[in-house]
Amino acid sequence: MALVTSVRDYINRMLQDISGMKVLILDSETVSNVSIVYSQSELLQKEVFLVEMIDSISASNESMSHLKAVYFVRPTSENVQKLRHQLANPRFGEYHLFFSNLLKDTQIHILADSDEQEVVQQVQEFYADFVAGDPYHFTLNMAANHLYMLPAVVDPSGLQRYSDRVVDGIAAVFLALKRRPVIRYQRTSDTAKRIAQETAKLMYQQESGLFDFRRTESSPLLLVIDRRDDPVTPLLNQWTYQAMVHELIGLQDNKVDLRAIGSLPKDQQVVSLLQYREVVLSSEQDAFFKSNMYENFGDIGMNIKRMVDDFQQVAKSNQNIQTVGTNIASLKLYSCKDVQLLVLVTVIICECFGFTEDMARFVDNYPEYKKMQGNVSKHVTLVTEMSKLVEARKLMLVSQTEQDLACNGGQGAAYEAVTDLLNNESVSDIDRLRLVMLYALRYEKENPVQLMQLFNKLASRSPKYKQGLVQFLLKQAGVEKRTGDLFGNRDLLNIARNMARGLKGVENVYTQHQPLLFQTMESITRGRLRDVDYPFVGDHFQQGRPQEVVIFMVGGTTYEESRCVALQNSTNSGIRFILGGTAVLNSKRFLMDLEEAQRISRSGSHMV
Amino acid sequence: MATRNRTLLFRKYRNSLRSVRAPMTEAKSGVGPVIEMASASLLHPKRSYAPVSTEDPGSSSRGGAITVGLPPDWVDVSEEISGNIQRARTKMAELGKAHAKALMPTFGDGKEDQHQIESLTQEITFLLRKSEKQLQKLSAAGPSEDSNVRKNVQRSLATDLQFLSMELRKKQSTYLKRLRLQKEDGGDLEMNLNGSSSRAEDDDFDDILFSEHQMSKIKKSEAISVEREKEIQQVVESVNELAQIMKDLSALVIDQGTIVDRIDYNIQNVASTVEDGLKQLQKAERTQRSGGMVMCASVLVILCFIMIVLLILKEIFL
Repeated sequence: MALVTSVRDYINRMLQDISGMKVLILDSETVSNVSIVYSQSELLQKEVFLVEMIDSISASNESMSHLKAVYFVRPTSENVQKLRHQLANPRFGEYHLFFSNLLKDTQIHILADSDEQEVVQQVQEFYADFVAGDPYHFTLNMAANHLYMLPAVVDPSGLQRYSDRVVDGIAAVFLALKRRPVIRYQRTSDTAKRIAQETAKLMYQQESGLFDFRRTESSPLLLVIDRRDDPVTPLLNQWTYQAMVHELIGLQDNKVDLRAIGSLPKDQQVVSLLQYREVVLSSEQDAFFKSNMYENFGDIGMNIKRMVDDFQQVAKSNQNIQTVGTNIASLKLYSCKDVQLLVLVTVIICECFGFTEDMARFVDNYPEYKKMQGNVSKHVTLVTEMSKLVEARKLMLVSQTEQDLACNGGQGAAYEAVTDLLNNESVSDIDRLRLVMLYALRYEKENPVQLMQLFNKLASRSPKYKQGLVQFLLKQAGVEKRTGDLFGNRDLLNIARNMARGLKGVENVYTQHQPLLFQTMESITRGRLRDVDYPFVGDHFQQGRPQEVVIFMVGGTTYEESRCVALQNSTNSGIRFILGGTAVLNSKRFLMDLEEAQRISRSGSHMV
Repeated sequence: MATRNRTLLFRKYRNSLRSVRAPMTEAKSGVGPVIEMASASLLHPKRSYAPVSTEDPGSSSRGGAITVGLPPDWVDVSEEISGNIQRARTKMAELGKAHAKALMPTFGDGKEDQHQIESLTQEITFLLRKSEKQLQKLSAAGPSEDSNVRKNVQRSLATDLQFLSMELRKKQSTYLKRLRLQKEDGGDLEMNLNGSSSRAEDDDFDDILFSEHQMSKIKKSEAISVEREKEIQQVVESVNELAQIMKDLSALVIDQGTIVDRIDYNIQNVASTVEDGLKQLQKAERTQRSGGMVMCASVLVILCFIMIVLLILKEIFL
């Protein structure tokens, strides 16, 4: 069962048994959970006529007792406090409380204590504690994502909160799926180990009754891995629709904020139809997006052109009908006999040409027409803006080198290419930084002199570059720290595979990279995930191959990896993969996390 | 999907805490319980929800007598509209049946079927029109929470209305299509009969009958086209009416799948659009005051006065 469906089912169940006019109250995290799967018009159908945030609801004292309040919030102590105040002075007729995760007994006690007016009708736990953007991809949208890179001693309470939130999110996913998994983690990552162990404790000891579901033939698998095992994927530039939008513009909760790219052109007629500065890119609601989200940029261009042509056909015929309709209507103002005859003739002629039926059909199909118009203008705008960015930042050139660094060998040639691009004036700072990082990750041990030269060149070219960031990355995710065979040069099988691929040639230079996740998924499918690298927690054991696998990436996932998972699922290998992370990264976000972690570790080391 | 119900535990805590609180109030005054009983009996659903006994902390012993209070007036309007929509729905079902009956081949005139269909269509259109006008009444001024609720109620009713109008249009167009097909078949049949008979008689009665047949053919086709024109006129009229309704409604109805249909967008934008609206109004006021229109109008008025004065002077001095 897909994750989107689970969250929708939870929300449906919340609203269906409560009759009458309702107000839905959310907090800053559940608003994302709900908005991404449920639309405003669907809420209206369920008679929810007001949606508020739990922070702002107490600002007003207006009593609206004809409304029933449905709360859907996370069970944090802040929310419980706010609820306390609101229950003590109730504004609504009835209160139905739904929490997105497990409540502690003390919290229930506090709530019961404050409910003096006895307005609370029910208190339930509905485990929709994650943001389900796509059917097999979820995220937790965590703010302080950089904490996973730091050792525990630096900020123990922060790391504890981080770990708790992750455990809550993973637990919610499995409760929504009604499964209890066998847990494995990446040995080299402390954070992953900690999260895996705490999840096991929750599922098997603390709340073992709640998780005691019907056993299936083979237990599902939860694999907790660390972002730092594959630092290459978030650094690469993307060329498939969904990933590209997130990389170049930014996709948050399936929304794109076009204000981020500066002024929009007002001369193009189609673009000016875009009234709002934000658009929605959701595979559930937009059929064109669903069929194109994993296609590469060239194919998208062709498909969009086809869509625009179809739309212009419809628009043209509508234009004709509108003019004919207005002509007939204006003729009818005169009522002399001659004109009546004229009208008769016109109408008969029109009918011969089938115009009146078209007219009727136009009125019938007007809402669809409007929707199509909105959709076309949205996609055209996005693709136009992205093309402009590609042109301005010379991304075709940069990306080619990036892909070579990630996939093919040849240190000398790589050094030359990177140096050329560093010298190129039109390449932006962030692209220069990414190139040097990719080079450093690949050729860390080869030719340290040239590596040093690149560092110096980068520092001299980019004034805003934070010193030592590349070195920090190498310390976090260097060759010693990584488990997986990121560049396919560790074991013979991978080397052979790479050589074969090089000989065969690639379809598209820009999309030749496969994230490390692909290899991990393949190992799981073949049942050959090494115990040494990915040990089990406690005395868990997996018999045979799992049929459902949830891979949780501490530090964040990328849309390239989610595409990889979706394509893997569509091959019907008998295993269903679900991918989740603490955030959805693009290169900007990954670099931001790195910088933040570096800043903290620097200040920490000063203190020590 | 798994859920867990904590209501029982919650109620248990609530009751135990209540009994902890209650003995404290009983100790305050012996009259306390009596006041509570009286206040409990005064409460009934129509009373607006404010704790009746404000100085009585033991009002929690009212137990389950929770009242959902009296809703504001606009709710009556919205209920009226939804009642109209419901009535329109039932009439549409009747209309469907009447259409089916009229399409069945009968020996009679079919006039009363037509009449019924016409009257039903008119009633439904009238109901939709009325609901649409009432819908405008639901708009409220001011950025209160109540106005948000009203706006959302408006939207949901507008969506229902639009859906009904479209359904009506579809029913009408399918009916007319099938009717036309039927008439065409009948007409062709007639034409064919006439044509074959005219061919048979052509040889015998040359000019006169030929022209007579021609005349009757022309008259028949004229009659058919007049009928067709009437039907098409009806179509055009109802199309116009419904198009008008749809245009008004489309301003209210949410376009599904766009950013306006997102819950988080609506929450964020409530505050900012109101501010923007206020700024726009102020700006509009300013431009209107300093606008060219006002200037032009005043200049013209002054000119008029001058002309009148000149005219009077001319009359006096001539």
